[in-house]
Amino acid sequence: MGNRKATLLVLPATVISFFVVVGGLLAALMQSLGLLPFAGPPTLNSSAYLTVAPDLPSAVALSFGIAAASTLIAVIFGFVTAMLVMRGRFGGRLIAMVSTWSIPFPHLVGAASMGLLLGDAGFLARIFGTDSWPELVGGPAWIAVIAAYSWKESAFVALVVTGVLLTRATAYDETAALLGAGRLRRLRHVLVPLSLPALGVSATIVFVYVFGSYEVAWLLGRPYPEPLPVMALRLFSSASLSSRPEAAALAVVTTIVALGAAGLAALALRRVPLWQ
Amino acid sequence: MAVILPAPAESRKEATRNGLFASRRLGRWGRWLLVLAMTVWFLAPLLPLALWFFAERWSFPGILPQEWGTGAVQEALAQGAVPAFGRSLGVALAVMAVATPMGLLAARAFAFHRPHGAGFLSALVFAPLALPPFAAAFGLNVLFLRLHLPPMFGIVLVLAVYALPYTTFTLRVAYGAYECGFEDEARMLGASRWRVLSRVHLPLLAPALMRAAFLAFLVGWSDYVVTLLVGGGTLVTVPLLVASAAAGTGNDAMLSVLSVTAVLPPLVLLLGAAIHTRRRLGVRS
Repeated sequence: MGNRKATLLVLPATVISFFVVVGGLLAALMQSLGLLPFAGPPTLNSSAYLTVAPDLPSAVALSFGIAAASTLIAVIFGFVTAMLVMRGRFGGRLIAMVSTWSIPFPHLVGAASMGLLLGDAGFLARIFGTDSWPELVGGPAWIAVIAAYSWKESAFVALVVTGVLLTRATAYDETAALLGAGRLRRLRHVLVPLSLPALGVSATIVFVYVFGSYEVAWLLGRPYPEPLPVMALRLFSSASLSSRPEAAALAVVTTIVALGAAGLAALALRRVPLWQ
Repeated sequence: MAVILPAPAESRKEATRNGLFASRRLGRWGRWLLVLAMTVWFLAPLLPLALWFFAERWSFPGILPQEWGTGAVQEALAQGAVPAFGRSLGVALAVMAVATPMGLLAARAFAFHRPHGAGFLSALVFAPLALPPFAAAFGLNVLFLRLHLPPMFGIVLVLAVYALPYTTFTLRVAYGAYECGFEDEARMLGASRWRVLSRVHLPLLAPALMRAAFLAFLVGWSDYVVTLLVGGGTLVTVPLLVASAAAGTGNDAMLSVLSVTAVLPPLVLLLGAAIHTRRRLGVRS
């Protein structure tokens, strides 16, 4: 009886999730294998995958690099922010307030703001002089893209870590301080171990999100080489009919890498002590 | 030296005030440097946005606009900012209205009962966190076209699924700290099921419900890719206007007006929630 009631309770959420997740992925898979053509009879073939194969290594590597760099910076800055918030006092309250500002920013708007800040006619270029301003937007190092992602996601990491630390770390931290532990030792033996699970979860979410996200790299990146999602959307909206299966093939590859990364992270997190 | 152990309930503020965490001079300087650096990091992208908003003319080498004004607002209005705002609001509110109650029901089931196949079901609800939205939208675009569903319906459905992990998780955590005894007591005192729900259950969950609803609103309000792909460009929301302004050149003032438009509603909600929480806590203490 209890079981049937529970199933009824989760039914609405799982039905629409099933439709979107499984239905969407199956349709994308069928499209990539030539089973859902716009015109003509469906034929099972792998030509879409073979067509995109030469560009795949560089696209995967680029997407991976952008996601890894953004995640690393977001985790470091987010952790520093959380530590400052935990310190309390005026500085902590200031940082808590300031970091909340980027939460309501849509990623696209964050990217647009980064463009106005870092572009070659941007605010920083105006302040620091014009002649030798480096190519941050559309440059070879994808700096504006990584900056936009890590700006937004560092606030997210800080929010998650602070939420965990405020409820769980305060008592341990005070006890360690009373027993004479200094700043660095408390950081190493109390605050870092207690934040590790929260850092791991938020880093995974950030990495997977950035890996599969389109608009920031499209707006602030360069035309070639392209990250996976940018290439996929270009093919999806291009006029030729053969490009739809290729776009779907890229979507399938992106999904496999993203799900694989999430799975690996879940396995790694199980090994972290303190994982609830 | 006598050390008085603080009571477990004593707040962190107290410990800070009585000097338990008093820092040496070097540490204090280092901390202020970090505070300054992180403040600059979080606020720097907002500065050019604010300046461009009021810039009538701001040609290149100038550090500040040469002419101030609000002509860009007229430009943004001419681009259809008002109807786009209405559509964005519609999408965000619809996503919120779908994902919050569904997340509530799922969270209650996961917290108090064990549904058949709980592992699979929760994997399904949380899968969108690891699934690139454009990949789902590619496949669904074809399905929706074949099923002849209106674009607004498809967009809200997909975004609600992308909001569900956040609403379910937030409410699942809240149910973790939820005391079922209050409900039993109200039932025992003769309250009807409906009264228990409206006078006990929902008020106890109100803060988490507000947080979950805000997150769902944010998912609907900020989306670009799903609206573009599932809607096929027919439903022009604020992010779509921002994207077309940002992709062009020479309209930075209008871009900043549209950007501010895209940030304002969730910001107002966030500030409103903060003020509301502070007032509630103030009344209690």
